[in-house]
Amino acid sequence: MANISIGPLRWQAEPSRVEIRQSGESVRSYYQVTAPRDVSSMCKGRPVEELPRILSILSASHHLASAVTLDNLFGVTPPPTAKNIRDALVQSLTFIHHARKLLFLLSSSQNPFGLRAELAVRAGTSPVAHHVLDEIGHAMALAQEAASILGGRHPHPLTAVAGGVSRPVKEIHYRRLAEIAESSLPYALRLRDIFREKIIGSGNGLYELMDLTVSPIASITFSGVEDAIVLTGADGSGSTTFTANKTTDTLEALREPWTHLPFVHVKGKTWQGPISDQSEGLFFVGPLARLNRCKPARTPQAEEERLHLVNSLGPAPHFSAIAAYWSLVVEIIQASEIMKDLCTEEKLTGLEVRTIASNPGGQHAHGALEAPEGFIYHHYQVDERGIVDDVTVLDAASENNALRCLLTQKMVEDAFEHGKPWDRAKKTIELSLLPF
Amino acid sequence: MTRKNVAVFTATGCKACENAILDIHYQVSSLARWAHFTFWPYVLGSSWEDLEKSDELDVCFFAGAIRTASDEEAALKLRQKSKILVAFGACAAFGGMPGLSNLHPGGESALCKSPSDDDCPELPPLRSRVAALQQIVQADYILPGCSPPQNYIWAILQSLVCQSESAARISFAASRLPQPIAQAVMAGVLPPGGSIFAGEKAVCASCARIKEEKRFESFKRIHQIDPDPGRCLLEQGLLCQGIATREGCGGLCTGAGVPCRGCFGKAGAVFDPGAKMVSAVSSTFDTTDGEEMKKIAEEFVDLAGTFYRYTMPAQCALLQNRKELK
Ligand code: SF4
Ligand code: SF4
Ligand code: SF4
Repeated sequence: MANISIGPLRWQAEPSRVEIRQSGESVRSYYQVTAPRDVSSMCKGRPVEELPRILSILSASHHLASAVTLDNLFGVTPPPTAKNIRDALVQSLTFIHHARKLLFLLSSSQNPFGLRAELAVRAGTSPVAHHVLDEIGHAMALAQEAASILGGRHPHPLTAVAGGVSRPVKEIHYRRLAEIAESSLPYALRLRDIFREKIIGSGNGLYELMDLTVSPIASITFSGVEDAIVLTGADGSGSTTFTANKTTDTLEALREPWTHLPFVHVKGKTWQGPISDQSEGLFFVGPLARLNRCKPARTPQAEEERLHLVNSLGPAPHFSAIAAYWSLVVEIIQASEIMKDLCTEEKLTGLEVRTIASNPGGQHAHGALEAPEGFIYHHYQVDERGIVDDVTVLDAASENNALRCLLTQKMVEDAFEHGKPWDRAKKTIELSLLPF
Repeated sequence: MTRKNVAVFTATGCKACENAILDIHYQVSSLARWAHFTFWPYVLGSSWEDLEKSDELDVCFFAGAIRTASDEEAALKLRQKSKILVAFGACAAFGGMPGLSNLHPGGESALCKSPSDDDCPELPPLRSRVAALQQIVQADYILPGCSPPQNYIWAILQSLVCQSESAARISFAASRLPQPIAQAVMAGVLPPGGSIFAGEKAVCASCARIKEEKRFESFKRIHQIDPDPGRCLLEQGLLCQGIATREGCGGLCTGAGVPCRGCFGKAGAVFDPGAKMVSAVSSTFDTTDGEEMKKIAEEFVDLAGTFYRYTMPAQCALLQNRKELK
């Protein structure tokens, strides 16, 4: 029995590594998250209205999911302007989240820091020039400025509160948001062109991404319009829906003793452990899951890009890394177009941004959000003073944990079979996990 | 000028501190003129073996709190290898929000049993309490904030890595920094050891809200009122920690209409943030009647989790003095 450890893995929000156990002809991998997040012990005993700020430690989108859960707890509806401000924040966060992943992808075969990277580009061994990465960085800087205006701070926003947002958008801020929104779409389209040129059309090493794929599995998305969580079957059909308050009747989190990240799966369906693709309870979330719903994109240029994807890779559902990266491109265009549409004086300005809450309407509340990283869900249980007794959070990392384990196992088996060096296998694993 | 060997690492926290370095006005790539990133697992995939093989580090930016045995090991290794170690962000500096787990010792550790099958890998053991970096090894400088604001990240990079040779975008930061640090940053010399890259006074000093020395009759919670946009939040009955917190952010939260929760740690003259808040708040009660004061005090909820939101492990004097909790 040989034990191999590869890691830490690049670009993962949680500190993670892959532990490999090799015995004769068999090889077993463990995608292991080595530090706990333990948000429930951060939240228990806190006044419930503080949770949007505390839970933003998971990601900025959890700030918003938490505010939605508070709306439900206090039984208050945010005024339309507040809803638009929150939605605009989601779009800015989508831009930042997806652009960062694409930036990592494009700089994956080089040290992104300066001199050597430049030399590698000149020598033709690296696909992406430095100034291109800087350009993406500049676009992200603008999106972050928008997120700071809308959320009060970035990357841990502050403004979403029960019943709306804590302050209206000032005139001067609205004008800046409109400017940023105007300039984001050209950046998004430029990113699309870079993606097409450097990844799809280049034939360079990154093209091997095409090979990274898993067997079909189900996916989960949240539709704000229908106010329903949609479980789409592995073949793209047979979707079932349920409401946020039924989430824990449908999904459950399992723990394995070797990782701090739980595995969320569909209750009552077979579960054969995290490296078996035979489990009916398996599902995943995120941009590719949204693409697999086979619905048209919300905006024209994003829809054009989605159709381009479908024409190139075939109709959804898709389970390849390249399709997952491509769906980031579709959504970054969509986020820019929606931002442009939202950043009008009529939609973003106005002093009515909060409905004041009084006491919690009950002792439980549920909330769901389709975040840039995927469907997320919160449940709070509070006492009569609104102090948190218990918290359940399903986040994209634990929902995609089984998929990550599957992908890792596949890459490890492939490396073992073809005698690939482990450092190369590490790079392939990192690239395959990045878009999920 | 030779390039400095720089490391960036996060123990238990989130990746926002590291992303904040990547995001410094999108000039991070230009840092390559001054910095050679020798060890950066999140971005470069560097391994601990790479660190062992590398030359001594000039500067290490350490983010995240110390939650597991491997966090502790990382702190010791990086301290040993680095000329300058920076506690980067509230988690490293004071224990941050992960430190709230100290109010519920046991927490997740109870869920992580030892592996049942012999083959499966073990997890690094959890410490019984979350600690700040400074409680494990000495840090040379502290950069507070959750995450630290961009201008301070520039200031510290300028000071420790570029030694004033880059185009500085630090005018605001320098204007709020204590004079010895600001002068050192501008002169391209190292600031005094132990410096905190933030202001000296309390957040109130840079908060735009007006204090009218008004007293409050009842305590309010953030979901219950839409506070007057120009007036001090504390005087409107909301618990605002700005009075006990080191300035530097310019009053980001209060500017956005929500109270400060202390992510910059206690202000220079404050001994214990909780004690400071209790005395500040009780002197703001609009009564001298003992019974009424008791009634107001009973309205307050979760003082520990509010006053030590980011600082429980490192700045709660009560916990520091209880040996059995260390
Ligand atoms: S200080 Fe804040 S931003 Fe930095 S690691 Fe801790 S939680 Fe994340
Ligand atoms: S207590 Fe808070 S709101 Fe009041 S002046 Fe200080 S920082 Fe501003
Ligand atoms: S106002 Fe307080 S909590 Fe907010 S960023 Fe400043 S120091 Fe941190």
